[in-house]
Amino acid sequence: MELSRIEIITSNAKIETLRSAMGKYGITGMTVFQVMGCGVQYGTQEYEGEAKVEPTLLPKQMVMLVLPKEDVPDFLKFVSEELYTGHIGDGKIFVSDIENIIRVRTGEEGYAALMPQKH
Amino acid sequence: MNEKKLGLPSIIATSAGLIIATSCLLSLGVGSAAIGESFIISMVIACVLNILFALSVSELNALMPNLTGGLAQYTLACMGPFISIIAMVGGYLVCNTMISSAECAMFGNTLNSIFPQFGLSGSVYCVVLLIILIVVNLRGVDMFAKVQNFVAYGLIFSLLIMGILGTIKINPSDIVMQPAVLSTNFADITSYCGLAFFLFIGCEYAIPIANKVDNPKRKLPLGMVISLVVICIMFSLLVIGFKNYTPWDALGESTTPHVLYGTALLGPLGTYWMAIVSIFAVVSSVNTIISSLSYIAFGMAKIGLLPDIFMKVNKKGAPWFGIILFGGTMSVINAAGLSTSASLSFLILTGTVFWMIAYIITHINVLILRKRLPKAPRAFKVPGGPVIPVVGSIGILWMIWNISSDSATRLSIYGVSLLILVALVIYAAVWTKKSMKRDLFTPYAVEDVMAMENELYPVYNNPKTGASKVHPVMEK
Repeated sequence: MELSRIEIITSNAKIETLRSAMGKYGITGMTVFQVMGCGVQYGTQEYEGEAKVEPTLLPKQMVMLVLPKEDVPDFLKFVSEELYTGHIGDGKIFVSDIENIIRVRTGEEGYAALMPQKH
Repeated sequence: MNEKKLGLPSIIATSAGLIIATSCLLSLGVGSAAIGESFIISMVIACVLNILFALSVSELNALMPNLTGGLAQYTLACMGPFISIIAMVGGYLVCNTMISSAECAMFGNTLNSIFPQFGLSGSVYCVVLLIILIVVNLRGVDMFAKVQNFVAYGLIFSLLIMGILGTIKINPSDIVMQPAVLSTNFADITSYCGLAFFLFIGCEYAIPIANKVDNPKRKLPLGMVISLVVICIMFSLLVIGFKNYTPWDALGESTTPHVLYGTALLGPLGTYWMAIVSIFAVVSSVNTIISSLSYIAFGMAKIGLLPDIFMKVNKKGAPWFGIILFGGTMSVINAAGLSTSASLSFLILTGTVFWMIAYIITHINVLILRKRLPKAPRAFKVPGGPVIPVVGSIGILWMIWNISSDSATRLSIYGVSLLILVALVIYAAVWTKKSMKRDLFTPYAVEDVMAMENELYPVYNNPKTGASKVHPVMEK
């Protein structure tokens, strides 16, 4: 099964929405990083009169999760609608292919490494 | 702490409460008296077109959520400041001032109908009421904040009960024998669609409650649509009740058809029931409109679309200039005399023309944003591609074309509308070029319009100080 990695940079307030959607999309785990960063606005607040010349790093959350490639379009649609406010700073979503996954404890590979173990 | 969210019944009730005004009853009476129960067909057509509008405005709200400026900001992002000023000043400020004057006249006419012995003109009651409401608003007191929904629901509940009682012929002894249908000519039916349209306008006022709604993506559009259908059913019952209890001629001439109908149906009980409910509803809604129009003007001044004077507040925090301007204009219109159903209908129809133009602009805004931001996430998207906005726009244009069955009245409405439009065009062009120093038709970027919601926006983007980030940018 082909797998994709989704990396979402967004505000702290949206993490709960993403967490609660995991079950709906068959996602078995997610990793959240607290990060600092800025985008093309260099951290300029939307109300500010002048764009910043030097980048200002703002606190954000980065969510990384992996899911079957076939589920990616639906998941992206859901996430985009949930994160969308129309304001600057809604976030970015990165999608990339996964070559392989290995569960260290058992040596399982690929999709099996993401799924609960069968006893 | 989790705030309790509104469910579908609350949305329907709130939306219906915002749509129904006492002046609707005048339109209902005039329309019914002219073509009888065929007016129900006019209402269904008008209701469908309002449902199409509700869908379009829901999509705009999904793309640009929680905007306090509503249509002004949608249009600013789609067509630029020139059209935005015309749509907002014409479609909301001017039009609501005219329609609220008619609403206020209902107050005077209702009092006049129950106290004819005083011999006072209805205008006297209206002007006194308006002066009181202006003073109350200037003192920053919203005396109706807590009872407003109660009053609105009281009116809806009363009309629904009255409609049902009239339809089932609760009082068989007073039934009027008269033809149910006065015209089956489709041209007649369409010419009353404009009047019928007025019965349903205002569903967009439910949009601001979106952030209080559980699952607003689905429930808000659904609630707006259901409320329009419920209102259509309720008014249809009233038309049938009118046929059973009020002679068509008397209905057409009455400036208080609800009181006439209440009296015919239930005697003095009906008179006082309808009079009391409608008087409270008028006072509450006119008070709200004076306040909300001044705050809309305040918001428009904040983003540079109107002169700064609309932003000035008195010691009580009330935007005094808007309150005096809108309340004063309503007083002048009422003092000029709105004593006949014909003059009230004329005022309502003229105001409705501008509201209709604002609705067409809303449909076009949807199409523009579909083209400019085809991939932007939309929690709600009007189904059927461009069909609904296009059909909705054509339908409303067709209603404006058939705004009245009487060609002289129609030409007068067009004449007055044209005069107001010319004044608006001159103001919008001069203001955009000289004060805002912007291109007339270049839209603002969506993110710039969204930024206007931030309370720090005026601090950082004051044209007077030269600090301005907002520059017309087309999304790539």
